[in-house]
Amino acid sequence: MTFTYQKSLEMFKRASKVIPTGIYGHLGPAEGCFIPSNAYPFFSERAKGAYFWDVDGNKFIDYMCAYGPNILGYNDEDVDAAALKQAALGNCVTSPSSKMVELAELMVDTVAMADWAFFAKNGGDVTSLAVMVARAATGRKKVILIKGGYHGVAPWTQKLGYPAITEEDVANNIYVDWNRYDQVEKIVKENPGEIACFMATPYHHPVFEDNELPKDDYWQKIRKLCTDNGIVLAIDDVRCGFRLDIEGSDHYFGFKADLMCFCKAIANGWNISALCGTDALKDAISSVMYTGSYWLSAVPIAASIECIKKLKKIDAPKLAQSLGKKLTDGLVKIGKSHGFDLVVTGVPSMWYMRIANDDSMILHQEWVAECVKRGAFFVNHHNQFINCALTEDDIKLTYDIADEAFKVVKNRHPEIE
Amino acid sequence: MADTLTMANINLFAVIRNLEDLCELDNEAKSLIKDKNISLEFFIKNGSKGFLNFESGKCRFTKEDQSCDIKLFFKSPQHFNDMINGKANPIPTKGITKINFLKNEFTKLTERLSFYLKPTDNLLADKNYFKINTYLTAYTAFFAIAQIGNTDKIGKINASRIPDGIISISVAEGPCVYLEVKNGHIEAHKGSVASPRAYMIFDSLKTANGLLNGKLDSYTCIGDGKIQVKGFIPMIDNMNKILAMVPSYLK
Repeated sequence: MTFTYQKSLEMFKRASKVIPTGIYGHLGPAEGCFIPSNAYPFFSERAKGAYFWDVDGNKFIDYMCAYGPNILGYNDEDVDAAALKQAALGNCVTSPSSKMVELAELMVDTVAMADWAFFAKNGGDVTSLAVMVARAATGRKKVILIKGGYHGVAPWTQKLGYPAITEEDVANNIYVDWNRYDQVEKIVKENPGEIACFMATPYHHPVFEDNELPKDDYWQKIRKLCTDNGIVLAIDDVRCGFRLDIEGSDHYFGFKADLMCFCKAIANGWNISALCGTDALKDAISSVMYTGSYWLSAVPIAASIECIKKLKKIDAPKLAQSLGKKLTDGLVKIGKSHGFDLVVTGVPSMWYMRIANDDSMILHQEWVAECVKRGAFFVNHHNQFINCALTEDDIKLTYDIADEAFKVVKNRHPEIE
Repeated sequence: MADTLTMANINLFAVIRNLEDLCELDNEAKSLIKDKNISLEFFIKNGSKGFLNFESGKCRFTKEDQSCDIKLFFKSPQHFNDMINGKANPIPTKGITKINFLKNEFTKLTERLSFYLKPTDNLLADKNYFKINTYLTAYTAFFAIAQIGNTDKIGKINASRIPDGIISISVAEGPCVYLEVKNGHIEAHKGSVASPRAYMIFDSLKTANGLLNGKLDSYTCIGDGKIQVKGFIPMIDNMNKILAMVPSYLK
């Protein structure tokens, strides 16, 4: 028996009357690449640990973790208790809670490069802030970015040719290929005294493509180039943050960033993001006017404090990587037994996978859809995520689901040997 | 902002090309060319050229060089666009003795084409009109993707982001087109191919008509299954950004 989604579909029809596209953004069926759409749930009812239940009552082992925020498991008792305790005291108040200071101290103690922390709500809030800080510090306007990199949805992060994006929005962006130090060096030489910032993710995790780790010495060479030329090195650790290294992903790869953007894993789903920086940039960020109505709300701050303490206590990055390695090794082996070449890339705590037997991804889309219909929620276009509530039994169940899904796809494609 | 050359290419390769299908689908158009055996060349200085062949009750459009009975010269892409909008006349440079075909049958054919490409709710209520409007609108839009991707400034940027391969666009029990993309250049063809790298499939003429006439949005249609996409999605994503530009040319 595979899952059906009658209530999800009914709710989607209702939603599409009053909400543009029904569900907009990355959680929606179009941006979320629900292929085919009838294989996926649209709306959840509840979530706990490594699982969520949809409105039809189907239960899923969730390997998307809300696209990253779920790091300890949904509704973690300790994190949620801290949030609820703070809610009883106050949340969005005229004077910020002193919890904010406590969280900033914790971030500075935890993240190797951090001398200060600035809080906002979404990853995009702090990537945009990082660029502003770099410009304020250097008096320059150009930014070097990686082709295929993702830093949010603000106009400067999007591409010319996308709806609503003007030439002026992206006029100061210069794009280079990932892992091509030579290209970065060339751009810096061609634009003397004009580059404010180099921004990238710690490793390359685009959609639809194999993820790529940095070459040996890549980051060390970039670091030196930035230092020698007065360029701010900003790392977008929104997705990788605390899934590679509790001290920050720059620490994991052996260099020190000037600015680090955090969001997803810092509060286990409570809405907060952070920009961390070095003392050298404290004056610059202090000069930038940047704020929001809910940015200093105390509830997510309290949740974040508890989340980070717990991540440190259980050594979450190590645990998540170990679980991810075990899971993906098994999936590759099961795929191979059915004639499928499942390629896994990236770091195991947030791996990317694709069936490489064809270049259209159709086999992969079919296999992922069959997994989802049996209760293992993967996506076919984006890296997946591990959360620390995942158990050995959950992994075994995932193997069984994957095995059955491979069988179904193989029967549909007798050409697979 | 619409680019003049792109507009002329759309008018030639997406709109005029539609006469081929009009003469298949519309009985009145079919009867107009019943016994005609004549070929036309559209030659646009600093632009493109294309040929219409009327033979054995059929119309065929091609951009491959061939001989012709009537050659129509246009001083510029703008001149051609003005002719399409009824604000200018072509300059016949060959086949003056056969000009009556232009004045009579060809003019009626283009009027018939305009009739089908300018729908109203009342007209769309007619089943046959609805079908022909959907076919012609779909062909116009899908062939226009290639023209916008090849010459429009922003269109070229989006086309350059489409990975190489073939995109199949089909409507259930309706038109089918495939786009061949290589190094950011797009060629549109009618029909289907065995193994496209990406697919966009409309579940019905109704869905295609609703989307192309601005009454449905593609995101919602993907959600409720009226449009299915599969295969290498970056091809579809970037193609859709060009498809979204079509209305700015074909208001």
